[in-house]
Amino acid sequence: MGQIFDPSNWEWITSGNNLSFIFEGFLINLQIAIVAMAFALIFGLVLALGSISKARPLRAVSRMWVDVWRNLPLIFILLGFGLALPGSIYSFWEDNVPAFLPSAYQNGRIVAAVLGLVVYNSAVMAEIMRAGIVSLERGQGDAAAALGMTHRQSLRLVILPQGLRRMVPATVSQLITLNKDTTLVSILAIREVVRHARTITNANPFTPDFVKGPPLQVYLVVGLMFIIVNLLLSRLSTRLEIKQRRESGVKIESVTGLEDQIAV
Amino acid sequence: MGDYWNVLRNNFPEIASGFLMTCRIVAVAFLIAMGVGIFVGALRAAPSKMLNRIGLVYVEFFRNIPLLVLIYIVFYGVNQADIVSLDRFVAGALCLGLYTAAYIAEAVRSGVFTVGRGQMDAALSLGLTQREALQKVVLPQAVRTVIPPIGSLIIAMTKNSAILGGALGVNDILHRTRQIYNDNFKFAETFLWATLAYLILTVSVTIIVRKLETRLAIRR
Repeated sequence: MGQIFDPSNWEWITSGNNLSFIFEGFLINLQIAIVAMAFALIFGLVLALGSISKARPLRAVSRMWVDVWRNLPLIFILLGFGLALPGSIYSFWEDNVPAFLPSAYQNGRIVAAVLGLVVYNSAVMAEIMRAGIVSLERGQGDAAAALGMTHRQSLRLVILPQGLRRMVPATVSQLITLNKDTTLVSILAIREVVRHARTITNANPFTPDFVKGPPLQVYLVVGLMFIIVNLLLSRLSTRLEIKQRRESGVKIESVTGLEDQIAV
Repeated sequence: MGDYWNVLRNNFPEIASGFLMTCRIVAVAFLIAMGVGIFVGALRAAPSKMLNRIGLVYVEFFRNIPLLVLIYIVFYGVNQADIVSLDRFVAGALCLGLYTAAYIAEAVRSGVFTVGRGQMDAALSLGLTQREALQKVVLPQAVRTVIPPIGSLIIAMTKNSAILGGALGVNDILHRTRQIYNDNFKFAETFLWATLAYLILTVSVTIIVRKLETRLAIRR
């Protein structure tokens, strides 16, 4: 145990720009998570609407799509996309990406990485949204119909506003999961935090005063960054929930257990 | 179509051994996750503030750290200390188990708390001892509420097992698929079988959990 806190094992952290190098990598992960989540929410909603659609073929196809993707390991999906996309897509990206973006985005595989994250997470989000919508009592839809609303109107004005509100906690915990999952894109050699950490643990011959970081300590620092951000995120979600409850004056039921079901 | 069968026929031993390796990882990690998870869940539900705190630190640490980073910490960390050398399989399965245990602990805790305080009071007022009340009233109900979320956690764990193949090169389905692809460069033909292998695993876990649920269900 003494190993962990041995000062000589921590010299790397003040040496050169090691710490800021790791932090830069970490910011890439956060950016990837945000972009992927934004797309996953859009496509997730489309898939969720598809899987509660009245048209049977559409419903069957959407459910099938969702069930297949969310039952596959994400790292497997990422690897698959990385190998499956034609090289022309990568070179098109690499030729056209603005030069001011960090090196992580200069690699064409970033397309495969984001695509993989979006395909997987949109399936997961679709399932969360579907559960949120289905958890609304049947009565709500019936009441809307009794008021003369069309199916589409009742969906837009009655069902979705309530159903989507219920899935806020599950969405935040999925965002936490997604945030952790962004480390998996390192399998496609994208220069994010894990790759940056690996660089530091390997000796760098070009900078003479460079202190090589021991893996244990370097990865601990990386882990701590994730823990801090994810704790803040979950704190935020509890705060949001309480605020919402206070403003609307009613207890908003959330879809409990969903986090456990889908997250990780 | 013939290509697909050829790839399966030529690589069957590798695919099968990858499948078995994934099963082994899942089995070992499952035992660790259940053991540690129930223990930490008990800490979280314990009336002592100190124990509670310890459980909370465990849960927050393991739930918020990326599994990949955890694997690197343990695998490189232990081998760096140079006291014992840790096998890739052992390090990976241990991490996967400890990681999942944090989620299981939370499921156990919320399962215990869904059984209302009134149940315990009612049992005590009927003259049951504390122990009997726990054994005959609270736990049987808690177990039933906990099974569906734990089932989903096991599915998630099965999927996460692929990270061992990706990060540590354990010869599981993912790693074998990668090797086969590097030999034949046939993407669709190779990945189809791996996809099926993973779906077979996750779907069979789903079925087992559902069976367990209906078997334990109480008719009201």
